[in-house]
Amino acid sequence: MKILVVDDSKIARMSVIKSLKVVHPDAELIQATNGLEAVESYKKERPDVVFLDLTMPVMDGYEALKKIKEIDKEAQVIVVSADIQSEAKLRVLVAGAKNMYPKPINVEIMVQIFEQDILL
Amino acid sequence: MNLQFNEDQIDALREFMNVSIGAATASMANLLDAFGTMHIPKIEICNSDELADKIQNSIDIRSMYFVIKQLFTGKFGGECMFVISEDSSINLGRHLYDIENPSFDEVNDAVIELTNILTSTIVSRLTQELNTQVQFFVPSLQFLDAASIVSEEDVGEYSKIIIISTILDFKDKQIKGNVYILTKDEAIASLRGLIDRKIEEIYG
Repeated sequence: MKILVVDDSKIARMSVIKSLKVVHPDAELIQATNGLEAVESYKKERPDVVFLDLTMPVMDGYEALKKIKEIDKEAQVIVVSADIQSEAKLRVLVAGAKNMYPKPINVEIMVQIFEQDILL
Repeated sequence: MNLQFNEDQIDALREFMNVSIGAATASMANLLDAFGTMHIPKIEICNSDELADKIQNSIDIRSMYFVIKQLFTGKFGGECMFVISEDSSINLGRHLYDIENPSFDEVNDAVIELTNILTSTIVSRLTQELNTQVQFFVPSLQFLDAASIVSEEDVGEYSKIIIISTILDFKDKQIKGNVYILTKDEAIASLRGLIDRKIEEIYG
């Protein structure tokens, strides 16, 4: 399984990756530091799952989500954000994200994501 | 004393602030019944005599401002300052009191109500991210011009100040404010220690 982790913060990416390594130790992990890199990486790597932040420089997560869904309608995108407003969640769900979780993600939440949101 | 931060420490601090601002934005969104746009927090370490210029450069110097300062103490000690323009404050008063022309006292009360939620949420969440706790002092509220926001008294005793700043932005309601967390000298070294522990925890 190939997983793309997108966040401008290294510690935020590491936090997601730490939980991913427990839940899916054999997954191939790819990283991107902004929305534009994420879109390019999605085109090239076609990951099975994307963990996407919203507040990022260059291209934010809303735009990246839109572009990834244009590339692949079936893309499985989980938004992980500090923005916990209900409207933010509504926006990303309408744009095609599988679900949205508040930062930081721990192992229990990661297990829940793979049980409830992701089709493998 | 070495008061510099490396790239990983800055990255971690920015991310912890991002999470804290996210919580504060959600609380404000509930209060205002509006959607807030989040901005990437900015981290700067400057000499104390540069603070006034740094703050003036981030706001419109022609406006008057409500300035709320709240000290907090603990392993991570400092000051949380919320700066909101008169226009934004009036819009806040209009919205919270549902009246067209709120009085100065009503605007004052609206700003205090907003700031109570804001500073306690931001600092509490930030300290939670840093695995520590702080005690709050009673906040002070002043109505000032841009040049008077930082006084000699604020910076006189310190050499270096770390500024963690961001914008709270509710476009639909035309309400926008700047949040600054100021930490000085020894507290910067203590903050760096807390960040290192957290980095170690996550990076393993």
